[in-house]
Amino acid sequence: MTHIEVGDDTGRWPAATRPGAAAAATEADRPSRPRAWVVLTVTLLLALLLLPLVPLVLASLADAYFYPQVLPERWSSRAWQVVLDPGSGTWAALRDTVTIGVSVAVLSLVVAVPAGRVLGTRRFRGRRAVELLLLLPVLVPAVAVAIGLHVVFLRLGLAGGIPGVVLVHLVPATPYVVLLSAGVFANAELALEEQARALGASAWQAQRHVTLRLVAPGLAVAALFGFLVSWGQYVLTLVVGGGRVVTLPILLFSTASGGDASITAATALFHALPALVLLVVVSRVLGTGAFASVGGMR
Amino acid sequence: MSGRHPAPVRPRWRTREHIRTWAALAPSLLLVGVLFGGAVVQTILRSAGLLGTGAGGTFSLAAYRTLLTDPVVGRSLVLTAAVAVIATAVSVVLGIAAALLLHRLGRGRKLATTLFQLNLPIPHVIGAVAILALLGQSGLLSRIGAQTGVVDGPAAFPAITFDPWAIGVIVQYVWKEVPFIGIVALAILAARGDELDDAARTLGATRWQRLRHVTLPLLLPGVLSAAVIVFAFTFGAFEVPLLLGPTSPTLLPVLAHRRYIDTDLAARPEAMAISVVLTVVVIAVVLISAAVARRSIRSEAA
Amino acid sequence: MRSVTNVVVLLAAALVVAAGCADTGDQASAPLPDPADWDAVLSEADGTTVDLHMWGGSTEINRFVDEVYGPRLEELGITLRRVPLADTADAINAVLGELEAGRTTDGSVDLIWINGENHATMRQAEALHTGWSESLPNAALVDWDDPAVAFDAGIAVDGAESPWGSAQFQFVYDSTRTDPDDLPRSYAELAEWIEANPGRFTYPALPAFHGTRFLTQWLFELSGGAERWTDGFDEEAYLAASEELFALLERLRPFLWREGETYPTDIADLDRLFANGEVDLTFTQLPAGIGANVDAGTLPSTARPFVFDTGTIGDHHYLAIPVNAGDAGAAMVLANLALEPDLQLAKLDPAGGWGDGLAIDVTRLSASERSAAEEVTQGLGELAVPSEELAAVRLPDAPAALTDALDRDWQRVIQDRQPRS
Repeated sequence: MTHIEVGDDTGRWPAATRPGAAAAATEADRPSRPRAWVVLTVTLLLALLLLPLVPLVLASLADAYFYPQVLPERWSSRAWQVVLDPGSGTWAALRDTVTIGVSVAVLSLVVAVPAGRVLGTRRFRGRRAVELLLLLPVLVPAVAVAIGLHVVFLRLGLAGGIPGVVLVHLVPATPYVVLLSAGVFANAELALEEQARALGASAWQAQRHVTLRLVAPGLAVAALFGFLVSWGQYVLTLVVGGGRVVTLPILLFSTASGGDASITAATALFHALPALVLLVVVSRVLGTGAFASVGGMR
Repeated sequence: MSGRHPAPVRPRWRTREHIRTWAALAPSLLLVGVLFGGAVVQTILRSAGLLGTGAGGTFSLAAYRTLLTDPVVGRSLVLTAAVAVIATAVSVVLGIAAALLLHRLGRGRKLATTLFQLNLPIPHVIGAVAILALLGQSGLLSRIGAQTGVVDGPAAFPAITFDPWAIGVIVQYVWKEVPFIGIVALAILAARGDELDDAARTLGATRWQRLRHVTLPLLLPGVLSAAVIVFAFTFGAFEVPLLLGPTSPTLLPVLAHRRYIDTDLAARPEAMAISVVLTVVVIAVVLISAAVARRSIRSEAA
Repeated sequence: MRSVTNVVVLLAAALVVAAGCADTGDQASAPLPDPADWDAVLSEADGTTVDLHMWGGSTEINRFVDEVYGPRLEELGITLRRVPLADTADAINAVLGELEAGRTTDGSVDLIWINGENHATMRQAEALHTGWSESLPNAALVDWDDPAVAFDAGIAVDGAESPWGSAQFQFVYDSTRTDPDDLPRSYAELAEWIEANPGRFTYPALPAFHGTRFLTQWLFELSGGAERWTDGFDEEAYLAASEELFALLERLRPFLWREGETYPTDIADLDRLFANGEVDLTFTQLPAGIGANVDAGTLPSTARPFVFDTGTIGDHHYLAIPVNAGDAGAAMVLANLALEPDLQLAKLDPAGGWGDGLAIDVTRLSASERSAAEEVTQGLGELAVPSEELAAVRLPDAPAALTDALDRDWQRVIQDRQPRS
């Protein structure tokens, strides 16, 4: 953390020739070498964001972890044994949560990408109304529509099973994926145009290849969001699944209602961990830049 | 490409384009319109006593009348709005600040950004459990205080969970939403920030001027839409206030849930009416903020 | 304009779908097999899956159901699917929602763990099968003449529920923090104790089960005993008694935890406050004591249960079959299995079971079974109140009309500080 080199624009503007270099204040705040306080503040911020997970980890590894113990007096693997036990239902819940999450991610791409492409690249009348309508499921509280959704799904014969739960998760996931992919296409199309012009706008097939390559990372992030929306869903799963579909959030809620802090903490971490790993892997593979598409959300 | 076709518009072509546009939109619109729209209609019919267990089957605004005259609902609405506004505002300020800081980092930026967005995928429920384990009166901080002799027992630790001001709820929301806002802001900065900043610098703008007149206006549209999503969520979420909020006045979504699971089935239309109120407020806020954004972008352009 | 029309058309489509959902189907329920012909029930149940919806917050209970009932049902060709709930009301709402949408057969809930006000709600909505539980083969082991079995929350069970276990309200203190000689032994003494120990007591917000029960007992004591309430609900007497109770609670408010500004959500919350030393008393419902909680590390090993001399409410909890249950036969088999003497005794034992009381009458058991039951209750030690002591102070449960009114009025008057509506 002592010496941090930045390569972004120091080379482009040699200090002496850079316009405005006369102003000392301007010179001082160039982003080339972050000052100690920036590094310190960022470190502190990250520590604050990760701090709440510490007591969860401690509680999951403790037995009779009561006030005022900071570190557990009695360490114990009991909670993890219970949670990881093949008969405890955790693994079945993990399997169902992953199945549902992956289905939601894939189907939301299928449903939402055409709309995202149109919204990201074309101007047409009624666009604003469409955007608002598509945004509504994100905005309107799940509690407010859960009961209505239950009835609609019962009528469609889709309540009480995984297909119904996938479909109901698509309702909040689709808007995110539409908006994210709209941003992706809006950005990609610009680059595409530039390239097409430079290359003399040759084959349509080639353009498609270029476009696909350009949008793939962004769409992967959009699919990740769809997956995560499904991963954390409680109310909609409860209502449409009718209890028969036991995902990790359902398991976590029923566990938390019992007040066994160690098992609740272990279940919570078991639920959070796959999502965390996925996020890190995706951002490593695609680079943090892929998340730039989130900025297209407007 | 097609959009900038110079020739006068040919009606047949326009129609085909038109159909293609709406065909692309159809799957999403159908999914959202039919399932979600159907559910909203159900909620409205139930709130008006036209449908549902405990409803009379005839049109009645009794549930709304009860809400209007009930001071508990009024207090809940005020608290809910305050929590949502404060949580959103704090998240926006801290999120932008965090993005500006992260953007200034050099080599550590990639790692720091990854760490920064770590709690994005953590479900809110887990966040609430974690915040309670950290900041509750017998939570980790209180325990550290007790071990070091700073605090004398759980009751001496500040009550910021289950407190009448719902501070614990706000803290949880801020904890969860700062990275969300921050990532949105960071993405915009990464895409456009340096280029404009440099341009402004060449014109001799001071750091404050650049922040005020270049960076913040650049961030505004994207951050505003993210902020609307945060507001909508914090206004309508039920899990976090249930786990961290006060018993009374409670937040509106919890109140709706309470009325819904009331053993007295007659309370259900009220639960539906609260849901309709939540929905109307959220949509109003979205429309207003969209109008404000449009105006501010127009005035920025002028 | 065309595009606006498109949006309007879509919204209209949504309306049509919603309207299509509007008509309520007739309430012809799924047929119920006759338990008198048990072999027919068994053969109908063979090869089916029973969905048991139950509160899933206790690892011990979950494990017992999965690992003890699961294999025994497997032998009969039945698959057990335990559906973990955060709140029994979720299952109630699932069934009511299904019935309302016209799904009167093949419902998702086959069997619910239920009692009290939830039972009352389901009966009010005519959502439970009646007339089956007293004909189960093992129903002969149940003392149906005991009003504590035959009435649930003041409503006649009418064969709609099969008892699963029994419970009795008890208080819990920590022997390292409180001298047993200083413990209150009545609500009158509790009021003094609360004033003498400010900030050290609270109770779950009503309508959480333990909160309702705690205040119902207080109401009993203030109004001269439980007996006068068991014959039915006397509105006028209730108004007078609850007025007095609320005035007392208002006077005690500043001496409660957080000065009575907020209350724990449920018993799990109260247990957490107690275990971390934020308050000095919590409650339990387990007749065979808190051994399972101590083993799980949710209560300290120095916690001890006790009862008031003025009595605490004892009751039963049951298994019930919704009218639209898809696999009612398998549900009956499970309800019957739950009454098997060896499984009742295993459930009673805090080690392996969870300390839940018996649903069957010990006097109807064989000599060896009786001595086995004796052995379990004698070996409970300090973590349980002796069964004779519990029996001596056991009070009947209040009618649902009383607890419903108390729930509603407490939320209004004490929680929200509004005049009674």
